[in-house]
Amino acid sequence: MKGWHRYAITLVGGLAVGLGAAWAITGGGLSGGAIVNGPWTTSLGFGTKATDPVTRAAVARAGLLALPAKETVYWSAKTDAAGGPLDGNCRYSLSGTPLDARWWSVTIYDEAGYLVANPANSWSVNGANVALDAKGEWRVTIAPTRPAEGAWLPGTKGQPFHLTLRMYNPGKAFRANPAKAVLPQIVKEGC
Amino acid sequence: MRNWLGPLAFGLIVAAATAYAAIWSIPYGLMNVAIERLGQGGVNTMSYGNLATPERQPVVRPSPDLAYSSCPYDLSDGPIAIDVSPVPGRYSSLSVFDAATDVIFVRNDVEAGGKPFRIIVARAGQAVPKGTEVVRTNHDHGIALIRLLLKEPAEIGGLDAIRRQSSCGTVTKLK
Repeated sequence: MKGWHRYAITLVGGLAVGLGAAWAITGGGLSGGAIVNGPWTTSLGFGTKATDPVTRAAVARAGLLALPAKETVYWSAKTDAAGGPLDGNCRYSLSGTPLDARWWSVTIYDEAGYLVANPANSWSVNGANVALDAKGEWRVTIAPTRPAEGAWLPGTKGQPFHLTLRMYNPGKAFRANPAKAVLPQIVKEGC
Repeated sequence: MRNWLGPLAFGLIVAAATAYAAIWSIPYGLMNVAIERLGQGGVNTMSYGNLATPERQPVVRPSPDLAYSSCPYDLSDGPIAIDVSPVPGRYSSLSVFDAATDVIFVRNDVEAGGKPFRIIVARAGQAVPKGTEVVRTNHDHGIALIRLLLKEPAEIGGLDAIRRQSSCGTVTKLK
């Protein structure tokens, strides 16, 4: 084998490894952030000039056109409270108290971050359309079939899912300590 | 095996340089795709998008609670003006993103005092009309996005007329 053959081989290999590494490094999505709160993760650096090239590329892939944190905080969950991956075959209770923000919503996406067709044409719950019980708590069932009672966010059989919690204009108390803020609970009830 | 030391070192350098270049260019590439997808209604004009559904998802993680209006812009022929009319009593915001996906301007309805406002987006050095707020950028291309929150998707019927009062266009008069 001639010398330039070896260089040609490592050139092609280097290009492939470099592209693969770039894709892998920036694939952390919105969970590549620094703040963890139960199953929810976020970064407050989204949508600012200060972010490093890796964060900027990761955000561009996972949440292009995302707003900066003072406007909206985006939390992402890929697991339930026990740490198990969110599974469209299973039934989950998503519950909480009204969040410290001008407006909030929880949206269900597939693993790539896209909406999936479902019979209810429903992909999110928000602060304006959840009902509060006597304790001031709201509760939504995430399951592939409609629950006997209460609000429903359809999961899709055979598909894992991710949740995104958006908090628009989060309150001062929240911004002071997002890692300790009270966020919705995601509890698996059965499969 | 010794014959491979030089080529392997070379390959590592190529890999590192490729990774760096790719990471740096990913935002620009994705922004181009977004401009293309959102620019079906034309560049330097406001498109009042339908609500996100599984069939219509021009960008990743669209919120089904938001009515998005978008203006993909090109400043190569001059600055653009964006006029925003907030809907009383509910969250809306204008955000302007440059070609690198960085946010260069954000204002919500509360910050705007609930009143309509106008901004000019211009490259450094471009002449702009006096008396209007100017946002300067180092890139020709980008997207201006207006988000309007809906309590229910059905609300869009009643709010569409107000959101269509927001607009975007090339600045023609400099006075």
